Formats: sequence, C-alpha cells, structure tokens
Amino acid sequence: MVLKRVICNNVCSKTYTLLACSNAHNVKRSFCSTNGDKVSTDTEKDEKKRSGFARAFERYTSTPEIKTQTPEKEETFASLLRNSKLIDLGDPQGKVVTGNIFHVVGDDLYIDFGWKFHCVCPRPAKNGSEYVRGAKVRLRIKELELSSRFLGSSRDLTLLEADATLVGLISSPARLLQQAK
Amino acid sequence: MAFIVSAVKVQSMLLRPSYAISKILGYSTQVQPNDDVENTILPPDKGAVTPQLDPLKHPDFFKVHQLFTVRDLFDARVHFGHREGSLDERMKPFIFGSRLGHLIFDLDITAYHLRQALNFTAHIAARDGIILFIARGAQNAHLVERTARECQEFAHTRYWRGGVFTNADMQFGAVTRLPDLCIFLNTLNTILTQHVAVRDSAKMCIPTVGIVDTNCNPNLVTYPVPGNDDTPCSVELYCKLFKEAIRRGKEYKKLKEAEETK
Repeated sequence: MVLKRVICNNVCSKTYTLLACSNAHNVKRSFCSTNGDKVSTDTEKDEKKRSGFARAFERYTSTPEIKTQTPEKEETFASLLRNSKLIDLGDPQGKVVTGNIFHVVGDDLYIDFGWKFHCVCPRPAKNGSEYVRGAKVRLRIKELELSSRFLGSSRDLTLLEADATLVGLISSPARLLQQAK
Repeated sequence: MAFIVSAVKVQSMLLRPSYAISKILGYSTQVQPNDDVENTILPPDKGAVTPQLDPLKHPDFFKVHQLFTVRDLFDARVHFGHREGSLDERMKPFIFGSRLGHLIFDLDITAYHLRQALNFTAHIAARDGIILFIARGAQNAHLVERTARECQEFAHTRYWRGGVFTNADMQFGAVTRLPDLCIFLNTLNTILTQHVAVRDSAKMCIPTVGIVDTNCNPNLVTYPVPGNDDTPCSVELYCKLFKEAIRRGKEYKKLKEAEETK
C-alpha cells in the first residue's frame, strides 16, 4: 500500500503504468530515510528528460502531431525548380531512377517515374510474376520524350512517352504477399 | 479586428492588414487579391442570408486564390512541357526556359492565368451556366467524366462529330441550348491537331477555358492556362480545382435564391 502511494505522489504522470514508470527506481530509495531529499530532485530531472523505454512509450502513446503543410520559408518558383529532382538529374541520358508500375497490359509494364510521361517496358524473364501494379522498379533513362522531326513537317511529332530500360526490381506487393504466406 | 463599414464606397487600401501588403510584394507561393472580402462586406439587412455585395464588382469574389499555391502546381508536375522541337511560337511568353531541350512553364504566369480561369468558372456557375468539360485522351477520359458528374455539369470526351455546336438543332433534332462555358483539359485531340470544339466555341461565342501545353495554340481560347496536360496527376489537380470553383459558385447561387424566396 505504501508502495502505491509513493508512486502516485511523485509526479509520475498519467501516461505511465506502474511497471513502466522510470521513477519506479525512486520508490526503493524513498524507503531509505537517508535518500529522502534526493527523490524529489531526481523525479524532477526525470520528468524533463526521459530516455530509453520511457521516451519511446511517451512518443508512441501520445496523440500524433499533425504536420502542417505550410513551408517554413516562402519559396519562389525559381528556387523550387533549382532544387528539384529534374535539375539534380543533369543530363537524363543514362541516369538511373526509380519508378512505380501503375498499369500492366499482358507483358507491357507502364511505369511512372515522376516525369511528364510514363515509359513502357517489356516484362523481364527473371522474376516476371513479381512485376505487378504497385511494384517499385529501377530504370535507366534512354530518352525523356520520344519525339523527333519527320521529313517535310515543321514541328516534331511526339509519342507522349519516355524511353527507359528496366534495370531491376526494388520492391513488389507480390513478393510481400508471398513472404506473408 | 472587426471594422464597421458604411454603405458608401470603401477605401480598401486603408483597411487592408499590413501583413497582406508584404505578401503581395513577396513570394509567388502566396498571392493575395487586392481587396479583402471581409472588409468590403456591407452590413446585412435584418434577415438577409448574404451580404448585399455584387460579385461582379469584386476581383476575386469566390476566393479562388486560396484553392492552390505555386507549390501545389509544382508538385503536380504542371511546369513540365514538351521538347523544343514541338514548341508553338505563340506559347513562348508562358515558358520559363528550357532544360536540356525540355521546356519548363513559368508557374507564376500559370498561377495568374489559372486564378483568372477559376474565377470565371465560379462566376459562370453562380449565374446558372452550363459548363462542358472537354478532354481527349483515353488515360484521363474517365476522370474528367467523373468530375463533371460530381459537379452536376457535363463532359464530352469522345470523338467530336462535326456540327455539334454549329449545327446543333439538326444534330440533336430539337432546339438545343449550347453550353455557356467549355473547359478544355486538352486542347489537342488524339492526332495532335487542335480540337474542333475550340474553333467552334469561338464561332458560337461560347467562352472557353483551356489548359494549353507547349505544342498548343492558345489564340482561340478565352482563358488559356499554360501548363502540363499530359500527366494524370496534373489533370487530377485541374479537375479538383475546377470542381471546387464550380461548387463555390453554385453554393453562392443557392444562398442567393434562398434569400430571394424569403
């Protein structure tokens, strides 16, 4: 009974159960008469800075903070573009990017990699069944847009598609499903 | 911070809060209209549902500038254009530049035009206008039709027969009311030539709002919005914005009708 009272008296908060309380170690000390003064200071310190299990417990049991979408500093379009992935890519020819498959028609995989157009790649022979909708794949870009000038026309003709080769698979829902089984 | 406003013409400059001024001069990701709606509202009469304010006298009555920011456009890949080789000369004023042959739209200009277009759409919806969504592309056809159904407006995403606007009475067999606004999610058809409806709307004096890409001709479109029309996520964003603008217009119309019937 004494044990319970001691814990409640400490500002050992509502979030803690008896077992999980980091101040529980103070309970032992409070029975010793010599360390009576120390108890209060220790609890104060612990209250401010929790570590290990206590901190994890606090983090996962408290209500999650909703991240606001407003940026901290106002950005101009020029700075958004300068810091974008497109500029980071440099010359797109030969660069490796990640894409995700959003449509499958037989052996054709329609892959979107964050550009204006998607690319269409044939299903590879190795691990073919894992290339399903939602799978993440690695691509090597050949061309960002398949468009060229034909003889006699004043403007390019575009296929509204990018050109890339499949390098490999990163993750696939089919694989996860199989692992779960 | 409540201001008591008289029915006499109000100097909105004086009432505009100081932070709004700095925002106007500041970055493109946040742009405020010149007038603050709250400060120009006249005191309502007893029992009135809406304030006695003429929406046509206001530059942004439906507050469409709050529907999106330049960042939203950027994240939806609206700034991506085609290659330099397929550029239409008339689209040059809307282009920011070209990155290794691929054109980039200036989203500040796009944002301005999109606000104009959304404002116009909301006004048309508020005046009980018929709006027709036109798109030509199998990837986005279903989305556009669904958007139109959700706004209780109309969509045409199939093959366009010759005289749909110009010979409507004969085509439909009865006296036809033509749409009051055409919103083009693509101004090009499947063979990359200009959609017939752009020219026909101009012939029939129907105002048009159109998303024009780098290979499109913006001349005949009343409210062109330079931007990407090929990526599904851009088209999703446009559909969402137009739907919201139409919803706001219709909401105002409903309030006004409720007030008049009282």
